[in-house]
Amino acid sequence: MDEHDKRILIVDDEPQIRKLLRVTLQAYGFGIHEAATGEEGLKQASSIRPDLIVLDLGLPDLYGLEVLRRIREWSSAPIIVLTVKDREEDKIVALDSGADDYVTKPFGMGELVARIRVALRHAAHAVNEPVLSFGELTIDLVQRVVELKGVRIKLTPTEYDLLKILALSAGKVVTQRQLLQQVWGDQHGESDSHYLRVYIGHLRKKLEEDSTQPQLIVTEPGVGYRFRSRDS
Amino acid sequence: MRMRRIQGFWLSWLSYPCITLLIALMTAALRPLGSALDLVNIALIFLFPVLVSAVWWGLRPAVYAAFLAVLAFDFFFVPPTLSFSVADIRYLVSFAVYMAVASLTASLASRLKQQLRYSRQREAQTAALYSLSRQMSAITDLHALLDNVSREASRTMGAEVAIYLPDERSHLTLTHLSDLGSPWGKEESEKVIAKLAFDHGEAVGYGSDTLRNAQGYYLPLRTEDRVYGVLALNLKDRKFRFTSAQRQMLEALGGLAASAIARVKLAEEAKIAHLTAESERLRTAILDSVSHELRTPLAAIIGSATALTSGDDHLFNAEDRQELLVTIREGALRMNRLVMNLLSMAQLESGMLRLRKYWCDVEDLIGVALAQVKDFMQHRRLQVQLPPEPPMVLGDEVLLEQALVNVLSNAIKYSADHSEIGIAVSAHTDMLVIEVADRGIGLADGEYGRIFDKFYRAGAAKQVTGTGLGLAICKGIVELHDGTIAARRNEPQGTVITIRLPVHRPSGEALESERHDRQETELETDG
Repeated sequence: MDEHDKRILIVDDEPQIRKLLRVTLQAYGFGIHEAATGEEGLKQASSIRPDLIVLDLGLPDLYGLEVLRRIREWSSAPIIVLTVKDREEDKIVALDSGADDYVTKPFGMGELVARIRVALRHAAHAVNEPVLSFGELTIDLVQRVVELKGVRIKLTPTEYDLLKILALSAGKVVTQRQLLQQVWGDQHGESDSHYLRVYIGHLRKKLEEDSTQPQLIVTEPGVGYRFRSRDS
Repeated sequence: MRMRRIQGFWLSWLSYPCITLLIALMTAALRPLGSALDLVNIALIFLFPVLVSAVWWGLRPAVYAAFLAVLAFDFFFVPPTLSFSVADIRYLVSFAVYMAVASLTASLASRLKQQLRYSRQREAQTAALYSLSRQMSAITDLHALLDNVSREASRTMGAEVAIYLPDERSHLTLTHLSDLGSPWGKEESEKVIAKLAFDHGEAVGYGSDTLRNAQGYYLPLRTEDRVYGVLALNLKDRKFRFTSAQRQMLEALGGLAASAIARVKLAEEAKIAHLTAESERLRTAILDSVSHELRTPLAAIIGSATALTSGDDHLFNAEDRQELLVTIREGALRMNRLVMNLLSMAQLESGMLRLRKYWCDVEDLIGVALAQVKDFMQHRRLQVQLPPEPPMVLGDEVLLEQALVNVLSNAIKYSADHSEIGIAVSAHTDMLVIEVADRGIGLADGEYGRIFDKFYRAGAAKQVTGTGLGLAICKGIVELHDGTIAARRNEPQGTVITIRLPVHRPSGEALESERHDRQETELETDG
């Protein structure tokens, strides 16, 4: 994928973090624009039309979530939010309000770059291939058939739906609420999170080599799940 | 009280007609036998009602009985009968002897009875005091103690009780009232008298040497060296003086109360002293630990970074540069761990932490925790044992995972590479038990309870860097979930940390879905 003409807008009030992101992301070949406040971020987002936005949730003027919602009113550019560790609530709200992914401070640059690449790839083309393949796992969306190492895996309809949703967003985090809503519809209740766990457990038993150390369906504690494709 | 007094009054008056009747009956019974029996025998038989009266009713009814008996004997039996006149003058001597014997026996019998009553009373008092002292030695709460004392005092004395204790500024204040609705005890004049008793350490008021006309009795609660408060009795409605037994009982109660209050106060003071010492120890430990744990990685980071930015490009080859950069990264990660631990601890202690309770799959928790510690595992062998269908736990996934990561990190940190680390999960009816066992350096016997204390580092762990926060955080998290955490020795060596979490059964709806799920599987297999 050609990353050299992708423009990334960084909205963060900390000069140190902006500098770090600018230097490293430029080294990876991205074009970098910076904004130090929420208002400036909104202005730049509309004038530059960036391909991706890295947004710090803890901004001094506008609440980061507010910036996120206002950008989402007119733009579908992927947004990756930066948060601090123990604010799971913020992460979930951000993801459910349209953020594509999150990175927790302090973060490794490798992690951030991987998230940026996944988000850009998803934005570039919605997956419309009939067969998804991840190493030894293939999912035939037309036939509704899942194969692992060439062997057909029997899945219940619910398990299949869950796997499909996760695999279609491969590399991206999917919140519990998003999963519940897409599989069970708007009518899901509180106790459904219990059987979401049960189904994920069943899927792992069928797909993972060691279900205590899952490689495919990874839990993002307190937030949701991430289907890990090889390059994410 | 009054009821009993009225009853006593009637009983003593009722004795006289009873005695009269008894003697009349005896006379009627003996009269036909009079000629058969010798007069001496009849006189002896007439001693009987005297004895009975002395034992049942006391001295006065007995004397009355003796008198009546002599009259009856004289009138009906001594010749000439049916006359008070006495033919033989010697009978007068007999009467005198009879009276003397009767009154002596009566007084002995009644004294015996009084002594019996007295010793019964003493026994009851001793028993009451004993049970009170036993109750009080078990009480550590001052309020419950005062409640007990005042109840007992008001019961034995039949009067309202108020207790005054000095406050922090040594002002005597009303601390307890047996009858909260009563206005007595709250007035300033009563407080002034109580203060007098408190300052002088002597009883004041009704029947004492000072202010003997006051309506209350104010007894200082004192031990040998200190007065702890004042017990006041409202004697306004009282018509009788204290008996000496009551006074003794009251004094014994006062002494008992004083020593109990002294004990509670001393325990409180000892607790405060202990807390102060403990917080002092903690402060030193925090400073030592934090400053060491912050300075060491900072020194490494600053040293490496200044070396790299010193400007001379040819000073280090590529390998050296890489090594310095890795040092910087590791130092920063170590500081990050410390900061996160300190923040977690502060959150746990401040009660700021809001528990977000969701259903957590224990297999998932272990998976996430293992993914976190994977980089430090090196070649340690991992054994995970799970029941086929582990129950779900209702809890905060992020916190529980952090607790597991801390326990696992410790197991890794204090055990040799290539050794075995076991994670065993077992499900009980209302408990989920997670055991993490290592074959590491282990702990000394006295340390198993203490390693969960903040900033406590085991003796054998001094060589390994750490803050002593990890397990304290675990304990905080597990207890937030109403669970427990404990440590014990692993055989042949190492440590086992056991986390117990309560299991909540999901609602019927979720179980329904699992059944539904099985049906789904069957459908697919058929297709």
